[in-house]
Amino acid sequence: MSASQYFSDIFRVAKSICIGMSITLKYFVTYKKNLCTVQYPKEREVIPPRHRGIHYLETEKCVMCWKCSDICPVDCIYIEGARGADGVLEGGYRGQKATLAKFTVDYTVCIFCGLCEEPCPTKCIWLGPDFDYHSTDRTMMEKNLLTDAVYTEEDEKFVDWARGENERLQGETKRRQEEEKAKQAAEKEKEQKKGAVEKGKEKPKGDSQAKKANKGKNKS
Amino acid sequence: MSGTFLAASGVDALADLAGGWNTSREQGGLYIEYLIRDVVGLQIADSVITGASILIVCGLVFGFLNVFALWAVWAERKISAHIQCRLGPMEVGPHGALQTIADGIKLIAKEDIIPRLADRPLFILAPIIVFAGVLIRFVPLPFGPHLIASDMDLGLFFIAAVGSIEVLGVIMAGWSSNNKWSLFGTIRTATQMVSYEVPIGLAFVTVIVSYGSFSLVDIIGMQGGTLAGSLSSDGMPQEGWFWHWTVFRNPFLALMFLVYTVAGLAECKRAPFDLPEAESELVSGFHTEYSGMRFGLFFLAEYGVMYIISAVAACMFLGGWWTGIYWIDQIGLGADASPVGVVFGILIKAGCLISKALVLVMVQMWVRWTLPRVRLDQMMHLCWKVLLPASLLCFLGSCLWELLFGGGAFLGAGAVVR
Repeated sequence: MSASQYFSDIFRVAKSICIGMSITLKYFVTYKKNLCTVQYPKEREVIPPRHRGIHYLETEKCVMCWKCSDICPVDCIYIEGARGADGVLEGGYRGQKATLAKFTVDYTVCIFCGLCEEPCPTKCIWLGPDFDYHSTDRTMMEKNLLTDAVYTEEDEKFVDWARGENERLQGETKRRQEEEKAKQAAEKEKEQKKGAVEKGKEKPKGDSQAKKANKGKNKS
Repeated sequence: MSGTFLAASGVDALADLAGGWNTSREQGGLYIEYLIRDVVGLQIADSVITGASILIVCGLVFGFLNVFALWAVWAERKISAHIQCRLGPMEVGPHGALQTIADGIKLIAKEDIIPRLADRPLFILAPIIVFAGVLIRFVPLPFGPHLIASDMDLGLFFIAAVGSIEVLGVIMAGWSSNNKWSLFGTIRTATQMVSYEVPIGLAFVTVIVSYGSFSLVDIIGMQGGTLAGSLSSDGMPQEGWFWHWTVFRNPFLALMFLVYTVAGLAECKRAPFDLPEAESELVSGFHTEYSGMRFGLFFLAEYGVMYIISAVAACMFLGGWWTGIYWIDQIGLGADASPVGVVFGILIKAGCLISKALVLVMVQMWVRWTLPRVRLDQMMHLCWKVLLPASLLCFLGSCLWELLFGGGAFLGAGAVVR
């Protein structure tokens, strides 16, 4: 190494150190101008409109079609309740022609793919702008979309009760339907008996059977 | 120096104190020992007084070190954050000022783990030795006029000599950890600190030769102009302006200041010379295996060395406790000074010295967050092929300058003109 090389190296190093130090000094003095962090819990950055955060459910629109839970690639949506205009659960959440007892998303599993939004016929489930769903416990990672809060044990109790209630309601409905059927059948029989009594043996039995078969054919 | 000056100020009690200044140096004891024995006049056995004063001095220095570390860790975080356009700690206290206290409590409360295969006695002893090596260097280091543990004759020599104890502790820590990364860090530390003590020693020698005294108190006193023994006999102005500081004494000493700053960075193991702790290569070097308060001691020691290097630089080159403005320096120094004025002056000077050291510490942090780490061979190249010749050149040049022109202000311009 020649002497000129030696001194030019020292000079180059000194110069580059000066340049670097001046740059950091500039940033140190004017750090407020190009601040790149926000004090997160107190202030938040603007979330882009199509951000896929945690779920929101517009319960009153839900028809309880299970399409979202069917399409979910990780099966993290759980739905329970009673469907149809009748079979209303007492204390359940009223949807559109359905009463919901449970509608939760398990965030230990959810991958925020947004697929559940797509098939919903009423566009009632969507991923919102909130991203800071947190908990101190794994069991608290399940969110109850009906109450917009953590799915608690009390909710679980309610769901259990609702499950039984639902079965009871369904049984009741079935029984009522059967009763009605039986009633109708009895009435029919009565009417038929009456008719038979009134009109005697004018109409043969095979006629009505042929009519019924015709009806069935038309339907199919 | 300033002791005799205070004696001339006509304030009896303070004159007594000032007398003790010289007495304690002659006897070689602690200054506070003299105060207890001769000024307060307690009738206790000498050994008890000596022991008590050692404990008092240890407590004071340890307290100062802790407060300094609290400030320095916070400042380091803030400076690094602002350089990187961040905010840094903001939650604990105003602008995160109490963050370090929270961290300290965390460190104390943490479990103290000793690896099973570690060399137990050495492992336990190492942080204590490192910390002792730092603490003992505070003895001849002045915090202000009369605020010094012991104004010994060989102050600078003591600082340079005792500093090597730290290397011993670091080697013990690295060896006893039984960890290859620790050992690598140790080897690098030993190489680096032993090498960089050479330019630092030459810087000490150059200053010592210029002023003819090893004592930091004397060196500071002579930079004040007013108290300058060698300067005043030259017929230089009897004023304590900042151009009497060592950096402005002659051009070689100005260059020496730069050399000392660079070598001091390496001596504190700070970036760009943080090879011993290189996080990205060696986890954290010799204190990889340490946890809890043992790690805390290493941490305190690191910041203590930063303060010592900066304070010695301030004392040797930047005028020590002199503010550099004549009228402020004169507070409490005249023959007709009131006791309040004297105390006020001492406080101003102590604040000045400590703030100079803190500014240099901040410069160290600024350098750390600017420059990348150098390679081992680059570090050795810088030490042996650049800093050593430069410091030798400065030593020779400074000696010749002193012989030809004598010392003086404005790079000795006054002396040259005369």
